[in-house]
Amino acid sequence: MNFDLSYFIELIPLLLRYLGITMQMALLGLVFALLLAVVMAVVRVFRVPLLDWLVQLYISFFRGTPLLVQLFLLYYGLPQMFPPLVGIDAFTAAVIGLSLHFSAYMAESIRAAIIGIDRSQMEAALSIGQSPLMAMRRIILPQAARIALPSLMNQFVDMIKSTSLAFTLGVAELMARAQMEASSSFKFFESFLAVALIYWVVVVLFTRLQLRLETKLNRAYQR
Amino acid sequence: MLKMMRKAVLALGIALAAQGALAAEVVKVGMSGQYFPFTFVKKDVLQGFEVDIWNEIGKRNDYQVEFVTSNFSGLFGLLESGRIDTISNQITITDERKAKYLFSNPYVVDGAQVVTRKGSDIKGIEDLAGKTVAVNLGSNYEQLLRAYDKDNKINIKTYDTGIEQELMLGRIDAFVMDRVSSMALIKEHNLPFVHAGAAFETIENAWPLLNNEKGKRLQTEINKALAAMKADGALKAISEKWFDGDITSH
Amino acid sequence: MIRIRNLVKTFNGTPVLNGIDLDIAEGEIIVVIGPSGTGKSTLLRCINLLEQPDQGVIEIDGDAVDVGHASKKDVLKLRRNTSFVFQNYALFANKTALQNIAEGLITVWNKPRREALAEARSILADIGLADKENSYPAALSGGQQQRVGIGRAMASHSKVMLFDEPTSALDPEWVDEVLQLMKRLAERKQTMVVVTHEMSFARDVADRVLFMEGGRIVEQGPPQKIFAEPDDPRTQAFLRKVLRR
Ligand SMILES: Nc1ncnc2c1ncn2[C@@H]1O[C@H](COP(=O)(O)OP(=O)(O)O)[C@@H](O)[C@H]1O
Ligand SMILES: [Mg+2]
Repeated sequence: MNFDLSYFIELIPLLLRYLGITMQMALLGLVFALLLAVVMAVVRVFRVPLLDWLVQLYISFFRGTPLLVQLFLLYYGLPQMFPPLVGIDAFTAAVIGLSLHFSAYMAESIRAAIIGIDRSQMEAALSIGQSPLMAMRRIILPQAARIALPSLMNQFVDMIKSTSLAFTLGVAELMARAQMEASSSFKFFESFLAVALIYWVVVVLFTRLQLRLETKLNRAYQR
Repeated sequence: MLKMMRKAVLALGIALAAQGALAAEVVKVGMSGQYFPFTFVKKDVLQGFEVDIWNEIGKRNDYQVEFVTSNFSGLFGLLESGRIDTISNQITITDERKAKYLFSNPYVVDGAQVVTRKGSDIKGIEDLAGKTVAVNLGSNYEQLLRAYDKDNKINIKTYDTGIEQELMLGRIDAFVMDRVSSMALIKEHNLPFVHAGAAFETIENAWPLLNNEKGKRLQTEINKALAAMKADGALKAISEKWFDGDITSH
Repeated sequence: MIRIRNLVKTFNGTPVLNGIDLDIAEGEIIVVIGPSGTGKSTLLRCINLLEQPDQGVIEIDGDAVDVGHASKKDVLKLRRNTSFVFQNYALFANKTALQNIAEGLITVWNKPRREALAEARSILADIGLADKENSYPAALSGGQQQRVGIGRAMASHSKVMLFDEPTSALDPEWVDEVLQLMKRLAERKQTMVVVTHEMSFARDVADRVLFMEGGRIVEQGPPQKIFAEPDDPRTQAFLRKVLRR
């Protein structure tokens, strides 16, 4: 075995320059995915006529097809049908694709969490005169957030890792640089180990954040 | 008066030059950045054979060349959706692709190549009878050879790896590999091998362009630059920088 | 003050309320008794439309609502005129005792936050839990939780407070503190309808006792009358059973 340590060490700061773009995609994706997911979960819980059906279709599609296919459809396919869409750049398309894809999973996690909240919480909120939507926002969703947090975090971690697919749209992110460096140096092990470590450390940091958040959200439930 | 006129002419010249600079057309060239030594990244710098050629074309045609790197699987999508103007990634001209895209004239000629040690008496595919010849597993060169060798005179061996080691040691007399890869290999490891004869079953690589107004215009302009680069040796020089020989012609 | 006419509710075709008529006067304390499964909870839940009645009219201060076809606005109006105390307390698990009481003041009655919190604090003091304002429900005993539940109902200053077996889920040691609080509300002439099995509370506090069975009000009257000499044999049988233990 001849591990090229100095190549490995030199590569890491080089790759870290592209971590920013990876995290930008993931964090923007997270924000939009969560917004969409909450709306869809609420639509499903309230069984809003027509919308509920549309949301089910949406979720079924985005969970039932590979993310890469969705990205291709969005970035390469749609502009063929609607030429003005060529104006969307690769980064934006990647963020949209990630948001749409993961919102489908997150919507289901949030819906499951909402359903897991005792029905009496909603009834109590209605009994003091809140509208169903307000009850959802003030009482149900905050409690559902705590239950959904672990699975939402899993999906976010998955999203961070999925940003590597953006290279297929031409976004020069972390994985892209690692792949390109590796293909010239032929030091695949060093290159991909470096990139693996970077992803891993990022995920570990976010997992820490999750634990803190959990402690905070659990405060209300301590005896 | 003369002075004034000179000034005016100078000003006009500057203005024209500035306009020219402004008018420098942006040409977006897609590549994978993962195909050594054609297009690759080293220490964060995109470089290689394709990059050099395009920088040269850009200089000659006054293009502002922008390289767009994407995984290979995304390249044709980028072209198709008009996000890049062409792909410079050793794209082989095929009938299918020709039906859909315009192609520039070929800038790389590749094909099945017989490779032997320096000083060997094998001068081409016709000298292989009675010799031991290796091919890589999974390549279609075995079929190619068998199709040529109707009366089974060639002893064909299939290898998974280490084909060049075998030739070096003299366990085989020659191997068949694609011409361009073998050139890169010989150059990279400084091997005492030579190409025996011309490549057979050649393929040509070129730049696909969208079949529209802009594509047609670019096709003409690029072909002109390419012809000039062939004529004055610029193309050959780039080839020799990256390969042990000229991969740009037969 | 409140008139209920011909309130009907069925679950999957099975009638649970068979046309209830009920008038509630201002300041009146009504206790509803009866065997389980006879529609007592359903009656309360239909009054504030947690359950959608099939038909009926509910009139509060002359304002009549056809509850079989109530609009969203009607629903909100009815819920703002009533408040509800749940058997299982149903405190907002993500909110402190103080926030539970202030929630309606802020979001439903649109009071400024500061004012709402001050009012919630005075209610907490009133129900004897001033020192628990920052405690979450999970950290409170059953009795304390139910007192906060009553405090939350008090905050909406509703015309009528509806209690659905407020002490049934409590360990016996906590029952008394909750009943004491309800008694104090009764003394202040807070209109209430209380479903309970606490017969002594009914006897001591109620102005009127309703006996329900099979989705009907079988008999009603002042507690002295109902407990001492009920007319209907079903009432007699029920009281014999519950008073013996
Ligand atoms: N959501 C519901 N769905 C179907 N049946 C119900 C529902 N709620 C109550 N019931 C039925 O209605 C009847 C009356 O219930 P309830 O009002 O809770 O009685 P009580 O409070 O007097 O014990 C019971 O037979 C009960 O099973
Ligand atoms: Mg009941």
